[in-house]
Amino acid sequence: MALQYKTIHPVKYLRDFLAHNVRPDGRGLLKFRPMALNVRSISSADGSALVKIGNTSVICGIKAELATPKAEEPDRGFIVPNVELSPLSSSKFRPGPPSEEAQVASQFVFDVILNSGCIDTKCLCIVPDKLAWVLYCDLVCLNYDGSVLDACILALMAALNTVSLPEVEYDHEKSTTTVKTERVPLKILSMPVSTTHAIFDDEVLLADPTCEEEDLASGTITVVVSEGKLCSVWKPGGSPLTESQMDGCVDRAKNRVSSVLDLINTALKSSS
Amino acid sequence: MAAMAEDQHVLRKMFCEFDVLSCPDGSAMKYRNRSCLRPNKLIIDKACVEAVYRPKVGQPRVADKTKEKMIGNTCSSAILSTLYPRTSVSIILQEMQNSGGLMACAINAAYLALIRSGIAMKFLVAAVTCGITKDDKVILDPDLNKVKDCHTELMFAFDSIDFNIVAVDSSGQYTEEQYQKALSLCKEASNEIFDFYRNLVKKYACCI
Amino acid sequence: MKVKVGDVVVPGDIAEEISRVKSETKCVLGPGLRRFSENVIVCKSGIFRKKNPNTYWVDSHQRKYIPVRGESVVGVVVNKSGDIFKVDIGASELASLAYTSFEGATKKNRPDVKLGDVLYAKLKIASLDMEPELECVDSKGKQSGMGVVADDGFLFTCSINVVRKILSPKCPLLKTLGKEIPHEIAVGMNGKVWLKARSIKETIALANAILATEYITNEETNAMCCRIIEALQEVN
Repeated sequence: MALQYKTIHPVKYLRDFLAHNVRPDGRGLLKFRPMALNVRSISSADGSALVKIGNTSVICGIKAELATPKAEEPDRGFIVPNVELSPLSSSKFRPGPPSEEAQVASQFVFDVILNSGCIDTKCLCIVPDKLAWVLYCDLVCLNYDGSVLDACILALMAALNTVSLPEVEYDHEKSTTTVKTERVPLKILSMPVSTTHAIFDDEVLLADPTCEEEDLASGTITVVVSEGKLCSVWKPGGSPLTESQMDGCVDRAKNRVSSVLDLINTALKSSS
Repeated sequence: MAAMAEDQHVLRKMFCEFDVLSCPDGSAMKYRNRSCLRPNKLIIDKACVEAVYRPKVGQPRVADKTKEKMIGNTCSSAILSTLYPRTSVSIILQEMQNSGGLMACAINAAYLALIRSGIAMKFLVAAVTCGITKDDKVILDPDLNKVKDCHTELMFAFDSIDFNIVAVDSSGQYTEEQYQKALSLCKEASNEIFDFYRNLVKKYACCI
Repeated sequence: MKVKVGDVVVPGDIAEEISRVKSETKCVLGPGLRRFSENVIVCKSGIFRKKNPNTYWVDSHQRKYIPVRGESVVGVVVNKSGDIFKVDIGASELASLAYTSFEGATKKNRPDVKLGDVLYAKLKIASLDMEPELECVDSKGKQSGMGVVADDGFLFTCSINVVRKILSPKCPLLKTLGKEIPHEIAVGMNGKVWLKARSIKETIALANAILATEYITNEETNAMCCRIIEALQEVN
C-alpha cells in the first residue's frame, strides 16, 4: 500500500513523514547518512578512493601525466576534475555526451579545488615552461542517490591524499625526461568538506538528501568548509531561505568537518 | 578619505533599456557601468524555465553551464510556473561586456526581461556582488580594477518580500564573520536595485 | 510593499485594500493579482487599477498572447493536415481550425484556404491545458466579418497593450484617420494587425501610426493623426 501511495503522491508521501519529524529512510531531518570510504581501490591509478554516502557511491581515480605548462602560467601544473554521471548510476541519465548536471558538478569540483587552495598547482610544475604534472581526476558516480557533490568532494580529497608522484629529471640540452622510481607524496594544503541540504516545501531543511528528496525539493544549498573557513556557499536559486536557516546550514557543515576528516584519516591509516 | 570609504559602499550606476529586441516577448538591455547584457525571452512548448547564456566570444563552455543553472533556477523560483502549463520560458542572455559582477548583472537583467514580458511572478529578485579585499574590507560591487585586490567575491540574490536569500555564489575563502558582513551589506544594497526596478516600471508605465 | 489603487506595482507587493473588502461582498481579481492565504499579492508589474464596486486588476505590458475564449484574433495559416488548418496566432502553440467552421462549409464545399493566408477568426476553445481552437462563424452560422482577409495588405505585430489601446472607444486614432484615409483593418487581440489602404504609402503611414500610439496619450494621438493626414496630402 505504501508503495502505491508513494508512486501516486510522492510529495504528500514525503510530507506525511516530515510531519512526524522523520524521513522515509528513518533518519531525523538534520541527520546525515553513514559514510564508508576505501582508499587505493584502483591499483593502476596514481591515487584513488571509493566513497559511499548511504546508497550514493562515487569512485575517484587520479592519473598523473606529464605536459607542457600554459604559456600564461609557465610555473603551474594542472588539475582536471571530471565528474561522470553514467547511465548505470541512475535512470535519469542517458548515454552520450556529459549531461548538464555532470558539467555543473565538474565545474563545482574545479571551483572547490581552486577556492580552497587544497593543492598548490605550483608544486605540480617540474621545470617552468617545459614540464608539469597534469592530474586527471576522474570521478565516476556508480550509484546516484543524492548529495553527489558531497560524495565527489570527499572521494576527490581522499584520492588526492593517496597520490604520490615519481621524481622526474629533465635534461635541458637534449630536452628529454627521465622518470625515476622514487615517489614523493603529493602535498595537500587543506581539506575541503562539502555538505548539502535540500529545501522542501519552501521551509523544511533536509540534511544530506537522497535522490528522491532532491527531486521533490524546491532547492538545494551546498556549503564547503575548509580549515575552519568557508570556501564555497552555493545556492543556485530555489526557494528563498532566511538568514537563520542559512546560518544553520553553515553551522552543520562546520560541525560535520571533523567526522569526515576522521573518516579519511582512518581510511588512509588502515590502507598504508 | 571619508569619500573613499563611502565609495566602497555604493553600487555602480545602473542603466536599463527595455524592448531593444523586436521579436521576443520581453527584452531588456542593462548596462552596469560597463558590464551589460541583453536578455530576451520567448515561450515555447513545455513546462520549465531555462536559461541560455552566451559568452561574449566563442562557444558556451562548461563554466557557462553553471551560470545557466544559477540563472535558470533563480528565475524559476519566482515565476508562477503553475499558471503556464505546457510552456517553457527561455531566458537568453548575451554577455556584452564584463567589468565585474557579471553573475549579479545577469540575474538582474533576466528579472528585468521577465518584468517586461508580463510573466506572473511571486516576487522579484535582486542580486548584488561584493568583494573582500586582502586587508579584510568588504567592498560592494567591485569593478575589474577592484576585483584584483579582492581574494574573495560573493554574490547574493534576495527576494523582494522578506529579503530572504534566493541564491548565493562565491569564489575564494572567507570566514563566517566576513560572510555575515558581506551578507548584511548586500542586503542593504539590494533595496537600491528594487527601487531601480520600480522606477523603471514607472518610467515605462505611461504607455499602459 | 503595500500599495494603493493607481500605484505602480511590481510582483510581491501586497494589495492591502482588497484584504479589507468585507468577506461577504463579491470581489473580482483580474490579471496580475493572486491570493496567497490572507493577502492579495501582485504578480505582474504595471499599474494597479480598480473598477467599482470591487473589481481589481493590474495593467501591465505584454507581448506574448495567452489565448482567451471568445476573443477575435488574426493569424496566419501555416499548415494544412487533413480536415484541420494550423494557424499561428502568436500563442505558445499553433491554433487549429476545422474546415467546417466556415460559413456554408460542408464536406463537399470546402472553404478556399491556402497556406500563408491571413485569417480573422474567433477563439472557440482556449484553455491553458489544451490546444486553442478557432472558428470563422458566429453563433448563427454566419461569417460576420470573419474568414480569410484579402491577399494583399500588410500584417504586423505589436504589443497587446497597443491593440487594447486602439480598440478602446476613447482612442481617437482609427476614427480620425479613417475619415481621411479609407482603409480596411483587422485588429486581433493577439497583437497582430492586418491593414490595407489605397496605396502602400498610406498603409505604411497607418501602420507606423498604430505602433507609435504605444507611448503617447490620446491627446497626443490626435495631434499625430493631424500631422500624418497633412503629410500624406502633401505627398499626394
